[in-house]
Amino acid sequence: MSMLKVENLTKHFGSLVAVNDVSIDVEQGELRAVIGPNGAGKTTFFNMISGFLTQTSGRIVFDGEDISNVAPAQRVWRGIARTFQITEVFPELTVRENLRVPVEVAAGYRLSPWMSKDADGEIGARVVDLMTMSGLAGKADRLVGELSHGDQRATEIMMALALKPRLLLLDEPTAGMGDQETYDITQLIRKLHKDQNLTIVLIEHDMRVVFHLANRIMVLAEGATLAVGTPQEIAANEAVQAAYLGKAAA
Amino acid sequence: MGGPELNKQIPNVVVWLLLLSLPYWMPLVHGYTELGIRVVVLGLAAMALNFLLGYTGVLSFGHAAYFGLGAYGVGMTIRYLVPSTGIGIIVGTIVGTIAAAIIGPLIIRLRGVYFAMVTIAFGQVFYFITFRWNSVTGGDDGLTGWSRQPLNFGFATVDILHNTRAFYFFVLAVFAVAVAVMAWLLRSPFGRTLIAIRENERRARFLGIPVDQHIWISWMISCCFVSLAGALYALLNNFVDPRALYWTQSGDFVIMAVLGGMRSFWGPLIGAAIFVVLEDYLSSQTQNWMSFVGLFFVLVVLFFPRGVLGIVRRKLSP
Amino acid sequence: MSQLILFNVFNGLIVGAFYALMALGLSLILNLSGVINFAHGGFLAIGGYLAFTLIPYIGFWGALIVAPVLTAFIGLLVERVLIRRLYGRDPLYSLLLTFGLAFMIEDGTRFIWGAQSLPFQVPGWLVSPLSSEYFFLTGYRLFMVLIVAATVTGLFLILGYTRLGIRIRAGTLDLETVSVLGVNVRILRNLNFGLGIYLAGLAGVLAAGMLGLQPTVGSSLIMPSFVAIIVGGLGSLPGTLLGGLLIGVASGLTTVFFPSATEAVMYVMMAAVLLVRPRGLLGEEGRF
Repeated sequence: MSMLKVENLTKHFGSLVAVNDVSIDVEQGELRAVIGPNGAGKTTFFNMISGFLTQTSGRIVFDGEDISNVAPAQRVWRGIARTFQITEVFPELTVRENLRVPVEVAAGYRLSPWMSKDADGEIGARVVDLMTMSGLAGKADRLVGELSHGDQRATEIMMALALKPRLLLLDEPTAGMGDQETYDITQLIRKLHKDQNLTIVLIEHDMRVVFHLANRIMVLAEGATLAVGTPQEIAANEAVQAAYLGKAAA
Repeated sequence: MGGPELNKQIPNVVVWLLLLSLPYWMPLVHGYTELGIRVVVLGLAAMALNFLLGYTGVLSFGHAAYFGLGAYGVGMTIRYLVPSTGIGIIVGTIVGTIAAAIIGPLIIRLRGVYFAMVTIAFGQVFYFITFRWNSVTGGDDGLTGWSRQPLNFGFATVDILHNTRAFYFFVLAVFAVAVAVMAWLLRSPFGRTLIAIRENERRARFLGIPVDQHIWISWMISCCFVSLAGALYALLNNFVDPRALYWTQSGDFVIMAVLGGMRSFWGPLIGAAIFVVLEDYLSSQTQNWMSFVGLFFVLVVLFFPRGVLGIVRRKLSP
Repeated sequence: MSQLILFNVFNGLIVGAFYALMALGLSLILNLSGVINFAHGGFLAIGGYLAFTLIPYIGFWGALIVAPVLTAFIGLLVERVLIRRLYGRDPLYSLLLTFGLAFMIEDGTRFIWGAQSLPFQVPGWLVSPLSSEYFFLTGYRLFMVLIVAATVTGLFLILGYTRLGIRIRAGTLDLETVSVLGVNVRILRNLNFGLGIYLAGLAGVLAAGMLGLQPTVGSSLIMPSFVAIIVGGLGSLPGTLLGGLLIGVASGLTTVFFPSATEAVMYVMMAAVLLVRPRGLLGEEGRF
């Protein structure tokens, strides 16, 4: 069964059609890349899946259940976590504190005014695990706002992961990064995908990253689906080359 | 407990030592105990506001309404229902909290200046109720004909009406409990979600925190303690009038929090101390103290936006 | 009875026109600069008191023209010296600053003109009732409605057709783009502030003619303006106008049936609007 099934999703902003009748079907364990030129509607598409925007029409089915009208926080509880194109973290808190919040939410403590010593220890250990996994352990008590862009992005991804999601949505995880940082983040995503068998959908501009990571690729252009296929198929697709790769090469 | 942990306790120890000894040193600096009580009571109100303002990042400009409801709650309970200070305080606090709970769903979807505008406007509803409902509230003249009642502990009765020092320690005890609860909440997982919302609402929402719900709860907690402060304020004066609910009072609370430092737990108390002492001094010196208070607002915004503790902290950090 | 209702509806419309005039100024400033100008009521009072001082020299008509302009100049100055420093900072600070200004202005007017209510002379022929049957329809009330209508029309024409107006509207939607396009945002905000304060000053002169003058006139009118903005819809000037008129009429009608709730009714309306349509009657989605 597919994990995420999006049917005929459409979003209008006034007279502008940002996303037009887009469908997607993501299998459990898949790593799907969504690519397309600027303004193709990729982020709008993501925003509807995560509940940041409400669709004009269409349906979003996650794990067999229609979540089209479910509030964002509740989509998170069902297992969809996301990152943003412009990194969204808690800048004036430490890495440890940043990660502690989602770990506690995932463990069901969000409304709790109290926590047992044992639970506190478990949460702390899980935070340390997450930091170790991403190489942030050495910066545990630094304020996130003071870290490099790459480390902030890694923190954001680990915050999403701390929610124990079943579907991870990454919006341009390597945007604005240097080669080394891009490499590190790519390795991190790859590791999460392989080790945890996590289902991931990512928007990405860097084709090296896309072809390195993705099982399948969806190409959007002007709000509509242009092509869907394996990296090889996409690379060979003439319409894609004309609309996107050609332009990028030129 | 290591060195840094110990260092963190120093401000707490200093604050409590000062507060516990206040009736003994206040006369030495030409103060009087009532002034100390005002500081503690308004400090509690400002700290309660700061629970929302500084720790949840939500700008309320309407807290006077709940402060005033707490004040009328205690006054009317003692005047019309039971002559008991304790029950009066409880009733006042509950009334204010319920009002806040009802207003909550109407405002929690709003943010920033709009939240401020709507909270201040709703505050006026309660102002007009106390102002207009003459027969019960005394209208513009205020609610008179009642006074704080002796505390009855069963084994002993304490006269807090004539013994100002006893009343001070009673107020301080209530303050201590309220402040302890707030501190404890802020260090809990729930408190961390509030700070998360302050830091980055979008991120918080997409970490599975239903932001509106959490703001609503934070709003109620904040208003609960501000009502408690209002109840104590009415007891201090043995009187309450609609001005306790007027929107300018809300502004006073906000300036106290900002002046002391919104990002620090004790900041609003320090802000309240400065504000109360200054107002006391100005109103004894000049007819135009309102201009000076206004000027004070302007100067704080222009020159001390981080507040006293914000500046101290900056100086201390390398 | 029907005459009583008519009287109060008409009265409500006048009051509402007032609220609208004041709220439009607030709204202009709020939309472009994100500042809630608590001192708006203070500027209103300044307008009224300036007119009072000017009337012996230049007469009512002169004062009606000059006083709002002078008020606007004071507004421009205040924006330049104080408010400007706070753009882009937490809205908390502009709120507190204008709050303090409101105190200073109220106390300042009391200092200069005294705490007593001052009589405000309007031309005699304006005050007399137009008909004996509809005694409440004095010339002044009608005149006020006309002035407000003309001013609001003028405001919308300015916003719709002049370069300044178009820039203000564009800046309200997307200040960054407007700035990139080469518009001097500092000047734009300054002029926009002045325009808003002009409306406050005008409302002040008109209010003085109807209510007389006292230092607290401003602070008693500012809350209804907030409500007008919220009811009408955040970010929408036509909404603000509508909101002002609606709450005015609602207050007027409540005076007939349940006088002690006259002030409270607008807040009930606000609650109802927020419950059903949080963005306000004509508010755009996602503006708050």
